[in-house]
Amino acid sequence: MQIALSAVVPVPLRDKVMQQASDIWNRNVTFSPGQFIKIKAPSGTGKTTLVHYLYHIRYDYTGTIQINGQPWPSYSRDQLAAMRQAQISVIFQDLRLFDQLTAQENVELKRVMQPQPMYGPEKIEEFAARLGVSHVLRQSAATLSYGEKQRIAIIRALMQPFQWLMMDEPFSHLDEANAQKAAQLIAEECQRRKAGFILTDLDHDNRFDYHVSYLL
Amino acid sequence: MQFYQLLKKIIRTGVGKGRFWMAAVGLGIAMLLILVALQVHHNFSALLYGEKNQNERADFLVINKKITNEMMGRPELTTFTKTELNDFAAQPFVQSLGVITAAQFNVKMVADQLGFSTEMFFEAVPDSFIDVKSDEWKWQPGQMVIPVIVPRDFVDMFNFGFALGNSIPQFSEETIKTLSPGIVISQGLRTGQFAGKIAGFSDRISTVLVPQAFMDWANGIYGSGAAKAPSRIIIKTKDPSSTVLADYLEKHGFSTDTEKTKYSKIRGIVQVIVSVVGFFGLVLLLFALLVFSMFIQLVIASCKKEIRLLITLGAAPRQLQGYLLRQFVPMYIVIGVLALLLVAGLQWWVSGILAGHNMFVPQWPSLAALLATLAILVLVYAVNLFSVKKHIADI
Repeated sequence: MQIALSAVVPVPLRDKVMQQASDIWNRNVTFSPGQFIKIKAPSGTGKTTLVHYLYHIRYDYTGTIQINGQPWPSYSRDQLAAMRQAQISVIFQDLRLFDQLTAQENVELKRVMQPQPMYGPEKIEEFAARLGVSHVLRQSAATLSYGEKQRIAIIRALMQPFQWLMMDEPFSHLDEANAQKAAQLIAEECQRRKAGFILTDLDHDNRFDYHVSYLL
Repeated sequence: MQFYQLLKKIIRTGVGKGRFWMAAVGLGIAMLLILVALQVHHNFSALLYGEKNQNERADFLVINKKITNEMMGRPELTTFTKTELNDFAAQPFVQSLGVITAAQFNVKMVADQLGFSTEMFFEAVPDSFIDVKSDEWKWQPGQMVIPVIVPRDFVDMFNFGFALGNSIPQFSEETIKTLSPGIVISQGLRTGQFAGKIAGFSDRISTVLVPQAFMDWANGIYGSGAAKAPSRIIIKTKDPSSTVLADYLEKHGFSTDTEKTKYSKIRGIVQVIVSVVGFFGLVLLLFALLVFSMFIQLVIASCKKEIRLLITLGAAPRQLQGYLLRQFVPMYIVIGVLALLLVAGLQWWVSGILAGHNMFVPQWPSLAALLATLAILVLVYAVNLFSVKKHIADI
């Protein structure tokens, strides 16, 4: 699945974007399948906005984002749902867990959203053990710390098949050791699917072998 | 855990549950009213037209114009014109119409065996309107025996009124049939002598009948020769209690045996009541649908944030619609089935009671009630689906 941006400019950031040099905004960029892509961005340059544009939950931009040669708006709600279940996964910066569910149920929701789940329920335990959150699985998501929530959000994103994983500062609440474990798991799961990812972050890092790096 | 079980924790349908239950009760009552209205209508039809309840006498009506004081002495006013006859025959409630031909001659009957002789009259109607089946019911020129049909009332009047009062023996119908009174018909100077033969007794037409063939022949010989306009007609109708028929008679100043048409009034009242009940049912159904729609809107609005996140995470709108409908639809079906069962029970009970009065209605609810239940359920489902679709799409 190819993602192509052409002259994308976010409307609210138009003035700022036009003044600064950016590798992404107002350029023609193509993300090829399977690439590990790092987008480094200082605060306020539209990092989260970009992830939302790529995941198509925000539409306030000029230019076009094409998925497999078709602009996002041409996809129907049902097609979009199917793609989010099987082709694109996401880890939001604000995590977006359901407070009324337990940590495990939050992950389970994503797992059983498709009629034929990719993984069995035991995968949740396995991933949770690897990221050190086994003990909070049965707790309500509302009671978790940010670090625990972030790891649950990562596990949730890995429960489905995908060709692209969008990540918005996925390790912002994790210490280095936990971030490393999480990165390791993400890299394995991407390779297993032959999938690529787009990761946005504030700083330079070496947690993945990035194929391409951009400055937003 | 199943997806829907997780959704149950996220999309709380408990909000405004009281309103939902009220709407559910409203739906139940609405369905009950509509079904009862349909069922009563159906039962009434069964009582009127059903083969078991068929009242043969009521199928034929003898109709004449009302004789008012102004019409007295002017017999031409009491006859039916060709236009009137054609218009009458064209009415949808008239299956067939026959003219009662009056005799244009005097008739005298001499019954020596009974010890009396009397002036009387003959009339004739086409054979298809006669309820007496008899091989003797025919006449051809030269035949001296005239078959006659007399009203059964006539025999009763004789046996129970006249005979008892005058110390004359009573006669059975069989005996009367064996009598052959002499019949003298005359007009001016011309007279003819015949023998009468009672061919049968009629419950339907209250007059003395001779075969149409004889009447035509005798009117030709003894009458003026010109065909006289009929003053009485007989119609065959499926439904003598039809309100349309009653209105038509009323409007044209025609009169008939009111005993046979009196049901039209009752029926009119029943129809009004049934219509009112059905109408209330429909109004109630509309309100129930409205409340359901508002309830769905409320549920979706109160979970707007959650539904938006679910869609963001990739839940298909169709999955959410399916989930929401699954929360409500089973109850609609239960309500529909309960209403139908209740009506079936009522019908069974009513049919038992009516059967005791020799009135027969089916023991089971009508197909119409079944179809109406289905139709209402489909309607409720459609309105819900529309509502869910619309409000989810709005998010």
